[in-house]
Amino acid sequence: MTLDLEAIRADFPILSRVFPSGHPLVYLDNAATTQKPRQVIQAMTDYYEQHNSNVHRAVHTLAAEATAAYEEARITISDWFGLEPHRLLYTSGTTEAINLCAHAWGRSNLEKGDVVLLTEMEHHSDLIPWQMLAKDIGVELRFVPVDPETYTLDMDAFEATIGEAKFVGCVHTSNVLGVRNPVERIIELAKTRGNGGDGAVVLLDSAQAVAHDRLGFDAMGVDFAACSAHKMCGPTGMGALLVSEDRIGEMTHFLGGGDMIEEAWLDHATYQPPPHRFEAGTPKIAEAIGWAAAIDWLSQFDMQEVSAHILGLARHTAAELKQIEGITVYGDHEGDLGSGAVSFLHDTLHSEDLAHFLDAGGFAVRTGHHCAQPLMRRLGISATNRASFYLYNTMEEADAFVTHLKGVIDRLS
Amino acid sequence: MDWGEGNWPASLQEVIDEFSDVFDAMERYEMLFDFASECTPLPMEEWCEDTRVHGCQSEAHVLCSLDDDGRFQMIGSADAQIVQGLMAVAQKAINGLPPEEVSTFPVTFTRELGLHDSLSPNRANGFLNMFTRVRQEARKLAQGAA
Repeated sequence: MTLDLEAIRADFPILSRVFPSGHPLVYLDNAATTQKPRQVIQAMTDYYEQHNSNVHRAVHTLAAEATAAYEEARITISDWFGLEPHRLLYTSGTTEAINLCAHAWGRSNLEKGDVVLLTEMEHHSDLIPWQMLAKDIGVELRFVPVDPETYTLDMDAFEATIGEAKFVGCVHTSNVLGVRNPVERIIELAKTRGNGGDGAVVLLDSAQAVAHDRLGFDAMGVDFAACSAHKMCGPTGMGALLVSEDRIGEMTHFLGGGDMIEEAWLDHATYQPPPHRFEAGTPKIAEAIGWAAAIDWLSQFDMQEVSAHILGLARHTAAELKQIEGITVYGDHEGDLGSGAVSFLHDTLHSEDLAHFLDAGGFAVRTGHHCAQPLMRRLGISATNRASFYLYNTMEEADAFVTHLKGVIDRLS
Repeated sequence: MDWGEGNWPASLQEVIDEFSDVFDAMERYEMLFDFASECTPLPMEEWCEDTRVHGCQSEAHVLCSLDDDGRFQMIGSADAQIVQGLMAVAQKAINGLPPEEVSTFPVTFTRELGLHDSLSPNRANGFLNMFTRVRQEARKLAQGAA
């Protein structure tokens, strides 16, 4: 079956937008956030129009409907990712999920001097929480270098350090380079040789990966994975920390408050079992429902076919950009790709200037350091322009983007 | 003087008139590239932490002072040409005004250049950060002069 791009695009109202300049929107900023199909928008609207109520509390009809929809959403989402619902902890997104891991697991299971092994490729989301932990409890951070020639992790360095590491945090798919890291090997090495042979705990930052990949979380043998709904057609402000059976019992409560307690006294409390123990306060109800609607919508496709389409667009665009004089493409798009991100720079035109000229033609691309400043420094740059594709993008859009970029460069350089 | 729509300094109004003849955003940006070459720059050797405008995607530096007559003067440089071009336009708008007028000078003049859509408030927007900084400097200079 081939993806019916016309039918897919018809589900996204925003993709028909035409700017006052007459240029149609060509949305190529999908690694930042994806657009939402009308089914997701409608599910969230229906919730607010017909069922809005707080969950887990009152006995009235709306409360029962809202609670059922909210918890059914957890079942839909956990089925998609391949784990039991009680081990899918709702968060506001990947960043909060990694912070939850650091606070609820890291603080009670790591101690001064323990080695936390990260990589230079991490988004700040998988760097700063561990820096905070290093400052607060004295864990030692070490980093697997990125080879700036091949744009891949130095796996020899990983192997040399893994024996000492008690915890490994690794970006599943780079938001800058598009590369998919060898996470299966990383997990295997961590489990067999990590922590002096006792096995290291592994967290994957799967923010970019979930746009393409259902993960198969339990089958991967990983301990934690963090992800965001909005990278896969769901709403912003929603995500999850996925937790293995072995780790869920090791986590201690983090945020305290409503909905996470079983019983409270003035001087102490007992806590709900997971997942609710880790979800204090009124949760993101409409967002959970919206995320499940996004998964229902994606379920009509073969995700391998979706991924092949996106990677095809990225490979084609990267190859075309490399033909343009003055353009450097960052990342090996002929290698093991995991996302539709194509980062590039022109040797004389500033990335911010280029972004304005691309925007003037209707092309939405990202410009900046992509919240990965250590990786930028390793590559010897401070920013890139980044076009990133998703399943609704077409080869015509990719070609129009390349043509427009060539025109801008011809005009200005 | 209460600067704003329909009442801009003559040197800025000339620029606005020039932009008003152009309907294509690409062409407007190209005009800013031309203005960038007219900007009185802050030489790179004078770039320092004090002159740096924080929060810009581009590297941008400004230096504000009062001339012998107590009038505001800003010089600045950026590595992005569009930001540099906007600095040149800003120089035409505010240089020579009393510092207290600069401190409240409306940034909405970019709207009259037809560039507002792409210069909307954004923490990564070099020009807005730069102009906010210039107004703060003008306020300090006005207070110092008073």
